[in-house]
Amino acid sequence: MPITVLGFAGSPRRHGNSETLLDWVLEAMGSEPGVSVEKIVIVDADINPCRGCNACERTGVCVQHDGMIPLYDRILEADCVVLAAPIYCMGLGAQAKAFVDRAQVYRSRKYVLGWPVIPEERKGKRLGLFLCTAGQPWDHVFDAALPSVKCFYHVSGIRDRDMQSLLVNDVDEPGAVVRHPTARSDATALGLAAVATLRERLA
Amino acid sequence: MIRVLGVSGSPHRHGNTETLLDAFLEGARGAGAEVEKVVLSTLAYAPCRGCNVCHRSGTCIVKDDAVPLLERMAAADVLAIASPIYSMGVTAELKGLIDRAQYRWARQFVTKTLDYSPEHLARHRGVFLATAGSDWPGVFDAAFPVVKALFSGLGFEYAENLVYDEMDRHGGIRGHPAALEEAAAAGRRAVESLSRG
Repeated sequence: MPITVLGFAGSPRRHGNSETLLDWVLEAMGSEPGVSVEKIVIVDADINPCRGCNACERTGVCVQHDGMIPLYDRILEADCVVLAAPIYCMGLGAQAKAFVDRAQVYRSRKYVLGWPVIPEERKGKRLGLFLCTAGQPWDHVFDAALPSVKCFYHVSGIRDRDMQSLLVNDVDEPGAVVRHPTARSDATALGLAAVATLRERLA
Repeated sequence: MIRVLGVSGSPHRHGNTETLLDAFLEGARGAGAEVEKVVLSTLAYAPCRGCNVCHRSGTCIVKDDAVPLLERMAAADVLAIASPIYSMGVTAELKGLIDRAQYRWARQFVTKTLDYSPEHLARHRGVFLATAGSDWPGVFDAAFPVVKALFSGLGFEYAENLVYDEMDRHGGIRGHPAALEEAAAAGRRAVESLSRG
C-alpha cells in the first residue's frame, strides 16, 4: 500500500504563495518511492459553507450535495492531509474557513454520536501539515488561524502533536514566496520528514 | 439620530446568534436609535479573490452585494457584528464579508487615501456578539483579531464583546440566565454614549 498524501490548496489565487508552498511539499513527498500525492484546489472543488443545520448530529453525514461530499471519506483515508491557505484579515481566507467548517461532520460523529472517525488501527498513525502565508510581517499574524486548523485536524482524527506547520509571513504579492530565503528548503524538509515519520509508523 | 446597524453572520435564521443580536438592537431602539438588521445568508456575495487590484485602486472590482453593504456598515454610528463560533472562528459567510473589506484597508495603508481621526473613531462604536456551543476555554479568542480587522477597516472603535458560550448546556440563548438582558443593556449603552457626546 502506498502512503497517500492529500493536499488542499485553500487560496482563491491559483499558483500563489500558499499553493506554491503546497507544491513544494507535495513534490518532495511524491518524489519518494511508495508515496502517492494528490492536490485538490478548494476554489475549484465547489465547497459551500456549513449551514449550521446540525443534521449531521443525528445522521453523521452532511445534507448538502456539493464537492465536499466525496472528500469526506478521502480525507479520512489519507495518511497525510496537507492544508495550504493564506491569512486574510488575521484568519484563514473565507474559502479555507468554509472547508474547515464542513469538517463539523466528523465532530458530530465523534462527540455527538460516539462513532469512531477512523479505524482503531490507524489512530496515531496519520499526519497533518498546515502551510500558511501572510502578507503582514508580524509573527502573531498566524495566531488566530491556528485554532481553526487544529480544530480541523483534531476532528479529522489527527492529533495536535501530529500536526506540523510551516508559516511564512511577509509574502504578499504573487511569487513573493519564491524569493523567500528559506521557504522552499523548509517546505522540502517538512515533506521529507513527514514521509520518514509515516514510513516508520506504517512499517 | 444615532444609526445602529446589526449584521448577523449565522447561516441559521432566528437562532442563538441572531436572537442575541435582536436583543442588542431592541435595546438600541429603546434608547432612540434608528435600527437596521442585515442577515448575511440572504445576500449574494463572493469571497475575496485576493487579486490585489484594490492595493492599486482602493476599490474592489467584484460587483455584488458586499461593497454596498460594507459602505452602509461604514456609515453607521454603531456597528454590531454577530456570529456563532464555528471551528474556533467566525462563520465562513462573515469571514467572506470581512475579507471583502480589504479595499478599505488598502485605502488606509497602501493608497493612503483614507484616514480615520481619533474623533471619528470615538464616534463610531463597534460591538461583537457571539455564541458558542462548547465550553472550551478561549473558544472566542481567535475570532477577536478577525473582528478587530473589520472594525479597523471600517473606522470603528472596537468597544465591546458580548460573547456567550455553553449554548448546548443552556439549551440555547433563551436558556441563558443573563445574555439577552445584557445584550439589550449594551445596545442602550452604545446609543446613549454617543447621544451624550
